Amino acid sequence: MTNLHQDNQNNLVSFLRHNQSLPPDASPLLEQQLINSLEPHPRRKLRFKAAWTVPGAIATGFLFTSVSFGLRTPRLALEPKDLDNFLVKNWHNTLDSQNTAIEETEADLLLPNLGEPQPALAVSVQ
Amino acid sequence: MLACQQASATDAESETGKITDRELIFLCQRGDRESFRLLYQRYQQRVRSTLYQLCGSASLDDLVQEVFLKAWKGLPKLKTAKYFSTWLYRISWNVATDRRRKLAKDKDRTSSIERVWEKEWNEPKLTSNGSTPDLMQLHYQDLVQRGLNNLSFEHRAVLVLHDLEDLPQKQVAEILNVPVGTVKSRLFHARNSFKKFLEQQGISF
Repeated sequence: MTNLHQDNQNNLVSFLRHNQSLPPDASPLLEQQLINSLEPHPRRKLRFKAAWTVPGAIATGFLFTSVSFGLRTPRLALEPKDLDNFLVKNWHNTLDSQNTAIEETEADLLLPNLGEPQPALAVSVQ
Repeated sequence: MLACQQASATDAESETGKITDRELIFLCQRGDRESFRLLYQRYQQRVRSTLYQLCGSASLDDLVQEVFLKAWKGLPKLKTAKYFSTWLYRISWNVATDRRRKLAKDKDRTSSIERVWEKEWNEPKLTSNGSTPDLMQLHYQDLVQRGLNNLSFEHRAVLVLHDLEDLPQKQVAEILNVPVGTVKSRLFHARNSFKKFLEQQGISF
């Protein structure tokens, strides 16, 4: 039964192949027309450029952000002389206005007044 | 020449000193038009035959040209050269499907799509086989054409690719983008329908 079915299938396929119509011949100009109408392929370099556009933009943005952030942060004095002047000037003003008064008060309380005569201490030795 | 025989002949070309398909595809991917001309000469008969069985003779040259133009544009994206044949058949199938859809939309020209198809099928019948055609053979050819036309487009495609173009079922499945089981099922139904049609015409196996 299976063999009979298979034979039938083979006969049908053979019949189809043997009696199929062949396509009409192509126009003699078809091949050349096809070749003439081929457009050049886009170059791969352009693809690489396009592929690098996004990472390049990210890198540029990062660089720009870093530079602008650096400009906004206060700079440190690179010259030691400038740094000395800055410290002296600022500390000088601070001591003149507040700390000096405090020190004077403490000195009044703790230190003996050298301007006035002090009574002599009597020490007896027995 | 059948597809398998052509494939084996193509494989043997490297041994005989002819340039292989893989080399041609490599050159085509770099824009070499003369290599594409060789590819066209190797494959145009298969593409032509498939399109003819699926779409008839009307605008056949245009359809063949469309297939190869699409192949040229898509070649740089083709990664595996050994699938070129399958890929080309797939393009042919897509072009044939588009053609069918276009005819389906174009209802103004004719009252029925089937009439258009019938007209396309009938036109080249008597000139297809050359010099001195046998009357019985012409009759059988007519039966085969009408039998194919009697099938649905999907069943016809499977029958054409598998039985006429001699492609294996796996490759047909890849071309049509369906499972192999679907190909088997469609082939079974297509052959049965064809046999019934032939029996109605007085031919039995």
